[in-house]
Amino acid sequence: MDSEGSGNSPIERNKRKKSNVKSAKKGKGSVLKQKSPAEFFAENKNIAGFDNPGKSLYTTMRELVENALDSAESISVLPDIEITIEEISKSRYNSMIGLVDRERVDEELYDDFESAKAREKRLAKEARALEIEAKKPLLVKKMKDNLHGRGPKGRGDASFYRVVCKDNGRGMAHDDIPNMFGVVLSGTKYGLKQTRGKFGLGAKMALIWSKMSTGLPIEISSSLRGQSYVSFCRLDIDIHRNIPHIHKHEKRENKDQWHGAEIQVIIEGNWTTYRSKIFHYMRQLAVITPYSQFIFRFVSEVQEKNITVRFARRTDVMPPVPAETKHHPSAVDILLIKHLVEESSKQNLLQFLQHEFVNIGKTHAERLIGEMGPDFSAKMPVKGLTSQQIVRIHQLFRQAKFDDPSGDCLSPAGEYNLRLGIIKELHPDMVATYASSPQVFEGHPFIVEAGISLGGKDVKQGLNIFRFANRIPLLFEQGADVVTRTALKRINWSSYKINQMQDKIGVFVSIVSTKIPFKGTGKEYIGDDISEISSVVKSAIKQCCLQLKSKIVKKLEARERQERKRNLTRYVPDASRALVEVLRELKPGKRQRLEDDELIRKVISRDITEATFREKLTQHVEQVDYEMALEYATQRGVREEPREPIYISALEGARSSSILLHGPVFAFRLIQ
Amino acid sequence: MSERKRRRGDPAAAGSSGKTKIRSDASSSPLLFKNRLKPDSIILATLQQLHAAEQSSSSTGKVPTLAELGLSSTCREVSDRDPAAVRITIEDSILAAARSILEGRGFSFSVPSRSSSNQIYVPELDRIVLRDKSSIRSFSSLSTVRKTTITVRLLALIHQLCTKNIHVTKRDLFYTDVKLFQDQTQSDAVLDDVSCMLGCTRSSLNVVASEKGVVVGRLIFTEQGDRIDCTKMGVGGKAIPPNVDHVGNMESDALFILLVEKDAAFMRLAEDRFYNRFPCIIVTAKGQPDVATRLFLKKMKTELRLPVLALVDSDPYGLKILSVYMCGSKNMSYDSSNLTTPDIKWLGIRPSDLDKYKIPEQCRLPMTDQDLKTGKDLLEEDFVKKSGGWVRELELMVQTKQKAEIQALSTFGFQYLTEVYLPLKLQEKDWI
Repeated sequence: MDSEGSGNSPIERNKRKKSNVKSAKKGKGSVLKQKSPAEFFAENKNIAGFDNPGKSLYTTMRELVENALDSAESISVLPDIEITIEEISKSRYNSMIGLVDRERVDEELYDDFESAKAREKRLAKEARALEIEAKKPLLVKKMKDNLHGRGPKGRGDASFYRVVCKDNGRGMAHDDIPNMFGVVLSGTKYGLKQTRGKFGLGAKMALIWSKMSTGLPIEISSSLRGQSYVSFCRLDIDIHRNIPHIHKHEKRENKDQWHGAEIQVIIEGNWTTYRSKIFHYMRQLAVITPYSQFIFRFVSEVQEKNITVRFARRTDVMPPVPAETKHHPSAVDILLIKHLVEESSKQNLLQFLQHEFVNIGKTHAERLIGEMGPDFSAKMPVKGLTSQQIVRIHQLFRQAKFDDPSGDCLSPAGEYNLRLGIIKELHPDMVATYASSPQVFEGHPFIVEAGISLGGKDVKQGLNIFRFANRIPLLFEQGADVVTRTALKRINWSSYKINQMQDKIGVFVSIVSTKIPFKGTGKEYIGDDISEISSVVKSAIKQCCLQLKSKIVKKLEARERQERKRNLTRYVPDASRALVEVLRELKPGKRQRLEDDELIRKVISRDITEATFREKLTQHVEQVDYEMALEYATQRGVREEPREPIYISALEGARSSSILLHGPVFAFRLIQ
Repeated sequence: MSERKRRRGDPAAAGSSGKTKIRSDASSSPLLFKNRLKPDSIILATLQQLHAAEQSSSSTGKVPTLAELGLSSTCREVSDRDPAAVRITIEDSILAAARSILEGRGFSFSVPSRSSSNQIYVPELDRIVLRDKSSIRSFSSLSTVRKTTITVRLLALIHQLCTKNIHVTKRDLFYTDVKLFQDQTQSDAVLDDVSCMLGCTRSSLNVVASEKGVVVGRLIFTEQGDRIDCTKMGVGGKAIPPNVDHVGNMESDALFILLVEKDAAFMRLAEDRFYNRFPCIIVTAKGQPDVATRLFLKKMKTELRLPVLALVDSDPYGLKILSVYMCGSKNMSYDSSNLTTPDIKWLGIRPSDLDKYKIPEQCRLPMTDQDLKTGKDLLEEDFVKKSGGWVRELELMVQTKQKAEIQALSTFGFQYLTEVYLPLKLQEKDWI
């Protein structure tokens, strides 16, 4: 737009006139424009964790995995999930989309163009590096690999990945599939309950990303339980209209009675930078869901880079499916009350209060209505409430006292499972777990479960923090998180005989709630400023530490016992030598005690030598050690070797057999 | 702050005021403090008075012993003993240990506890003394086996020293068995235990610390027959001999002893030949005083009967150093009677001097939390509480949260300390 000052010139004025006409035609400037939800998320993909290709690959994978877990759990089937990430080279990608590979003709056109001079410089540098490396024969091979893989990489060199996730879950009905994937902000998970998903975006966001980065459609195969066919659907999304665009939708043969879903999406990504994050995620997921089995594959064009990791099932106890619950009166806002009024099937106010909220009984509802004022009555139709009346209800809800919501609707991982998960994935020397009772924050119940492990494989020295919210791992923005802060600042590890710097400490905290109070747009951490949560986290960690402390003390005692003899014996020679040094200097006849004189004479006559003292002291040490060991044994009882619990997973499909034989420590069943 | 600046930038008022009282706030630029200085002869006369008072009083004043206070049963003290006696004591405990081993009972020592819980401040003596609690150090316990072995090893070494009657330093002792002692703090700690256990001073064990203290000024003494004149020791001064027993025949025409905390201030005083202007003996231990310096000071004070004035930093640490000279350290409380020099006068730099001598803000340092804590702890100490002046100064320090080092006076010129500050302090008898 033109500025005020230039308005004098007639030409300018003319121009402005023109531009005004134009803009009106084009709908520019102040003209109202609508944006579909799909468009919004396409533009703000960082909100959903699609900040860059690397993170997009990670988020795509985790969204698919979490959907798969939810799907299997919803029908109480132990999840079996296969994830495959396949690297696709640029030429393969081009052939997939039907684009012919083009050689660069005008090299200078490209960002990574290397002038002759720069190349000379680089080659000289590499030659020099090679020379240095050549002196260390062991490293040569590695160096060659590096040289091979190096080379300047320009912006244009995107890498593409096919992400496939197959589960044994509920599956989707044939006709629902297009809408479940092709419409953003539609989903089955809305409603008040503990859910894994973050925004109800899940696979849809992956679809948007694939559309943005590769333009290739998503492929879905799915079958419900007992269904004779497999639905196959290839579709992409019309971002501007937020509707699915179906390429192919057909029914195929279901040979092996499979049920579940298999989703395949091709996206731009970056495996190298996010590989470790993806593995961390898988490992932590395996910790929190020890009842599921994951097979993770990475398929590369280069054979040696292929990886297959299997996270085995360790238990078949699954947490219950979280129940949907009603809102707690202290956790609703005006908009939500209006929404509930619209949705409610109840006719009058009394029934509405009684049935749409938790913790409001009939008498309580009557008292509340009485308190609302003369405008309100129990029998008044709920749909007829005015905006002012709704505000009044909201105010009362804010001020009145209600019982805390119960944690019954929550589905925590369970101490048992958490413990097994930790043991399964970390193989720690010691582990302790604790589950808090349900607590409340802003009308939403939450449960904190904590586990502390010491030692184990692939664990760094110091604190290793594993955070879970609604049973999914949180990997990013660890620093500000309530768990990190609590573990670092508010726990005095040394008072539990744990060395914060040297011991390999695993801190596992899982928080489940109907609404996790995430901070930040990424929903990657829970703020440290919520005292309700931080105090529960602290006490849960402390409880674990307390359990560990007694074990550690016992262990230290045992170690001391083992080393006592060695440590005492070590000083025998020094002490004996020093004693004899003095005794040799002495002359008999000056002492008051007769024994002393005799002793000195014996030293002079070599009847008593350094060896005598050594022998006597060693004997004494042995005796002391024996006595202490005896005392220790009487206090502690005979020590047993620790029992190693084992788990043998059930044979799939062989459950038809009948009799269960119970023993005192086991049960077994005959199978055909 | 602004007010102070304005005042300082008003030399006309200062010039006209001429001779005013020091304490008056309407005084002038700090450099003009020099104008207040009276001729040296007058200051000397003041010092003569102090000297005379000291000479007469100390002849009458007699410090009671523990026995006189009826504390001999509950308190422990060591005394100087000759090598032969030390040797006999060592032999007795070694023989006892040997007998115990041969009887198959292992061996142990009863070692007096030197922890702070076992120490009390005796106001009549004005120093810290050790009570009689002791613990058994046994070879057959994991927690004490190491210390027991070090103890017996040190006993053997000291026995050797006493037999041959030679002196070694603590460092020498440590190097005789580095593998066992591991680091010097361990052998040093056990050495103190041993001297406590045997009931004799550390010097009688023939173990000395390496020399740390320096003395310069109007003092002549002999060290193993060599006559030493401390006025002819240049700027560096004479190192205080580690073994005070070798010092004798002290002579001096000084009027007082000036105890300086810091090496830097000591050098300034020595280079400016402060002791020639005002006859004195200047001593420093360069920070926390070692045993030799404390013994030397004590010897000078008792033999020459000179008043002692102290120049330390205006911070809790300076005061702490002063307290070690006067009341002894917790570490060596078993030997406090030989090591302490009571009645040291705090000349400066006192917290009240900061404003009185207009030490500019930029030369004062804020006290750290640790400083404040130390300061508050000191206020609880008995030796501080007994002197009202000290309590007032310390309270002022904690209240203003400011500290200053002796070097802060260098703002007014490097020689301000020797030419203005100290003479003025002496002239005004500004010590407590």
